[in-house]
Amino acid sequence: MLEIRDVTITYGKHVALDRASLTATQGRMVAILGANGAGKSSLLGAVGGRIRPASGDILYRGKSLLRLPSHRLVEEGIALVPEGRGIFPAMTVADNLALGALPARAGQGAAARMDEVLTLFPKLAQRRGQIAGTMSGGEQQMVAIGRALMSNPDLLLLDEPSLGLAPIVVKEVFAALARIRATGLTILIVEQNARATLELADDAYLMEVGRITKSGPAADIKSDPAVIRAFLGGSLAETR
Amino acid sequence: MLMTTLILGLVLGGTYALLALGLTLQYGIARIMNLAYGELTLAAAFLVVAFFQGAGLSPLLSLPAIALAGYGAGWLLYQVMMRPLVARSGGSGRLEVDSILATFGLLFLIQGVLLVSFGADFTSISYLDRGVSVLGVSVALNRLIAFGICILAGTALVTALRTTSWGLRMRAVALTPGSAPLVGIDVNRVARQGFALGSALAAIGGASVSMYQTFSATDGVVFTMKALVIVIMGGVGNVPGALAAGFALGLLETFVATAIDPGLTLAATFAIFLAVLLWRPQGLFGARS
Repeated sequence: MLEIRDVTITYGKHVALDRASLTATQGRMVAILGANGAGKSSLLGAVGGRIRPASGDILYRGKSLLRLPSHRLVEEGIALVPEGRGIFPAMTVADNLALGALPARAGQGAAARMDEVLTLFPKLAQRRGQIAGTMSGGEQQMVAIGRALMSNPDLLLLDEPSLGLAPIVVKEVFAALARIRATGLTILIVEQNARATLELADDAYLMEVGRITKSGPAADIKSDPAVIRAFLGGSLAETR
Repeated sequence: MLMTTLILGLVLGGTYALLALGLTLQYGIARIMNLAYGELTLAAAFLVVAFFQGAGLSPLLSLPAIALAGYGAGWLLYQVMMRPLVARSGGSGRLEVDSILATFGLLFLIQGVLLVSFGADFTSISYLDRGVSVLGVSVALNRLIAFGICILAGTALVTALRTTSWGLRMRAVALTPGSAPLVGIDVNRVARQGFALGSALAAIGGASVSMYQTFSATDGVVFTMKALVIVIMGGVGNVPGALAAGFALGLLETFVATAIDPGLTLAATFAIFLAVLLWRPQGLFGARS
């Protein structure tokens, strides 16, 4: 469904991503794991049309995404929840969700999707009239994910959905992700929270300083001794 | 006496509110502070007069065509003149400075065309210039009609912004342009629409003004300044604030003109402007920046 081929991203002289390749198959949840600055967000930004790669190609259903302006991706079925969420903080929750349903592909099913989203995040149902920017970080993340789902996507891109959230809220977000995954949506997720992400994902890619160093089924990655040492490691890594 | 001031002030305020609405749309949605705004208003006023005197066309009949022409002119201006500036700024604050300089130049360009086409004399038409009694106050019918047009256009716009999906797009771009592409909004297209719509409102405002006021080709800057004062009083990008501040300014000017001296209206306007800038830069109605 999504194929990233030898994508290189540079910021001036700095190479943020060095010939990275990745494949996301229909209906699977693919995780990109790595430390801060490993190039995860650059990779996702390139798929989401926010960053232009210096070289390489990104194919979605066999078609190159690189020539599309970023606002066209939603109509193609790609919904991005960027780092920092990308909601409309000065508008109400209801407006945020309505904006998600603006693209033509949301079509007639918007009302039904609204029900689905509100079932997924019951909190949003109670807070429809609230200004999104006045909500807690976790609730704003729910608005962002709900907004993305409103556009009836085939591919959901999530950039660090647990960033800056309290542990108990992270659990809530991941529980929601599990339910979204169960609907068969293809998901590409970038996360620092390797343990929780590997529990959910089908496939995983590991990144270190701009390169993909390991990839495979999430179950294999999870039990890989090197991965356990680097990402899932002892209590030391966990507390940092 | 008080009733007269109140009613005449509100009638004047209607035109001001509409003019400010157009400017605030252009700035709020397209991020362009259009200093040539008053010249667009004047151009529309001159066109109404030309149609009226040349073809005997009533201002009310030429108004829809002039509003459309205003939209078209704004669309073209954005496409030809503003878009390169937008592309160059890459979403940074540079656009505000560049657009102020560019539209400052445009001001003199349009003013020159107006001077050549219509001359430097004061212009006015006599159209429905008879008194009508409103709550015991005699108001010229042309002013009442202009007021009605402004109220109608203003209400239609505010309603559309609040309730339609078109309005939702406009508000999204005005409030958080960075997130708009995530929901499939083409920011450039919406900005162009906002700018064009602002020009259409300038044209409607100008057509209304031409029905009752004497004006000359060099008056544009006064319209721009008044609209700007109102926009800042109402809070930049705050549509209901601009409406309220427009009426407030109309009332203030009428009060100063009747109770103190007609020569002081502009001075009073700028006194208020300074006070707002100094003590309430976020506008009288306290929306966040």
